Amino acid sequence: MKSKLTHLLRAVAIAAIAGALPNGSALAADDLSQNSLNSLLPPQTLPQGFESTGQLLRDQQEATNAPLYSAWLVESSRFINVAPGSFMPDRAFIPGSTDPKHNIVFFDFPANVGIIKAKNGKITLYDSGWKQLEYIFDWNTSCCWWDLREQMKNIGLNPDDVIRIVIGHGHWDHAGQLDSFPNAVLYVQQEELKQIDFFTNYPVEFNQGHIRAVNTVDPLTGAQVGPPQQACARTPVCGYPPQTVAEIEGKVLAGKAQIINGRHRIAPGLIVHPAFRGHTYGSQLLQVNTERGQLVFGSDTYSSWEGIRDWNVANIQQTDTIQQFLAYEKCYVLTSNSDSFNNCLAAHERLSYSDDYPITKNWWTITDGNCSRAAELTLANGEKTHVPADVTTGTTRITVPALGGAFGPWRIDPVVCKDTISMVPPHTVMP
Amino acid sequence: MERKAAASAESLRGSNAGRAIEFLSHLRWPLSRKGSLLAVAIAALIGILGFTAVHETTTTSRGSAVASRPAVAPPKPAFTRAEEAYIQALWPIHGEVERNAVRLSLGRIFYKVDDIGKAELKTRVEAELAAFRHAEERIQALQPPPSLAGPHGEYLGAVRLFQQSAIETLKMFEDGDDGHLLAAYPASREGSDKVREVGVKFWEDEFPPH
Repeated sequence: MKSKLTHLLRAVAIAAIAGALPNGSALAADDLSQNSLNSLLPPQTLPQGFESTGQLLRDQQEATNAPLYSAWLVESSRFINVAPGSFMPDRAFIPGSTDPKHNIVFFDFPANVGIIKAKNGKITLYDSGWKQLEYIFDWNTSCCWWDLREQMKNIGLNPDDVIRIVIGHGHWDHAGQLDSFPNAVLYVQQEELKQIDFFTNYPVEFNQGHIRAVNTVDPLTGAQVGPPQQACARTPVCGYPPQTVAEIEGKVLAGKAQIINGRHRIAPGLIVHPAFRGHTYGSQLLQVNTERGQLVFGSDTYSSWEGIRDWNVANIQQTDTIQQFLAYEKCYVLTSNSDSFNNCLAAHERLSYSDDYPITKNWWTITDGNCSRAAELTLANGEKTHVPADVTTGTTRITVPALGGAFGPWRIDPVVCKDTISMVPPHTVMP
Repeated sequence: MERKAAASAESLRGSNAGRAIEFLSHLRWPLSRKGSLLAVAIAALIGILGFTAVHETTTTSRGSAVASRPAVAPPKPAFTRAEEAYIQALWPIHGEVERNAVRLSLGRIFYKVDDIGKAELKTRVEAELAAFRHAEERIQALQPPPSLAGPHGEYLGAVRLFQQSAIETLKMFEDGDDGHLLAAYPASREGSDKVREVGVKFWEDEFPPH
């Protein structure tokens, strides 16, 4: 027994020496503890970006004792005629295919904004929509934009009650119109701002400028082109015009911004969860406690609800596929005691405002909203419904008189509305 | 669109595709009339499928809904050669202006939230001011065609607004008053709007769907 023990100790000693000798880099005690800590986390994930299932379940349980919120979704604008493959690679169109995943030539999809109302009437926005009207005017591949304050008024909500704006990330189509809510406090991740800074200053020597933000187009033709000509357009680091960043700066200088790091409870029943690199480096989700369980708003990390349901990459522009899937899992965990993935709110889900995306089935066309749509997700605290009483049979004025004052059903077919009624709104682009 | 097509045709000259066409013209045609027709039909089919595949994976469609919408912008006239040359020359300057405008905003944000100190902010703002001054010199050296004199002036004005904002920011290092940050903001905010307005006129797809 004694000799066996001696042999064992000798073997361990030899193994230890052999491990230390080849490069002479035996770990110091401090390194060891740091490495032990890091080994608990997925590689290349910042500590504050990863949340364990246990932590998430705790947030789920604690939220059940928190106040309830009412919630709506509004369509800030709509991208039209987008090739599915350029948005969701798993959904690329295949000529002649009868597979429903591959037989759609073009997608139309909204840019959704979440509106969350507390018992005291105060409102938190998740994302703040588009601002760049010139984009609509010149691209013409979008429709239905309308001013978010006007949209809120026209669905019976007071924009002056907005006290917080949580942006899922800082891209121009999600963080526009911040100036329209001067009293609201902006919540943005520090990682998001660091990312923009890092890539605006990225060296170009070995990448021909494909990595550095901001510009993304071929200078000769003016066309947006995919890899390899200009890769930046297909990554998340190029979606930040100076105008959008300046609006964020305006909030910071006015003392109306909270630059946060990772998980952050902004109010009882409202919890920000990091989704770092799920879309951009500083993407964040918002968990909201409601009568129908936890809702999780995800901006472009949850670009497509179908993507979450089917475990498909929902946006080709995400930074890191596995981080996007980890963010999907966060929603599955947080909603595990309610309606699961049906409670995940996607920014660009093509099926929004229809029975096919069940949480948005209670929808209508916003009065004077230029074909933009709203959906009532859930009510609480005695809040009366904002859905028009005659939503299935009645009509509304779809465009303001200045744009023709056209009328149509509350649930007008969105394609018909897009093709026959929606207008290019007034814009300030130079003659 | 026309200007893009013209640019593509021009880019064929001297290219591999151009040389291939030249080479093929020296070959004797080996097929009968029937065979030729079949070959043409197959080639057309491959072309259509190829175009569809490329279109599907690399672009978003532009315009099919436009025709049926009641009020859209009329098709923009193609840029003239002189306009194209001006826009092309402005492009790299535009990139530098945008990057430095973003960095000016971010530097002030980082300072305001104690992420960087005064010394680092000063270094950043001085570098950005130098970049804006350099951009102004380069823009002034451009010769815009008369049709683009307006946007040229607007763009120059925007770059001067950024300079004005940077200069105002630097005053805080002279008198220690952080109030200059607030005073500096409106100019850069207006400059950001202006470069976006001009940018979208010249490079309409600069910021694709994200």
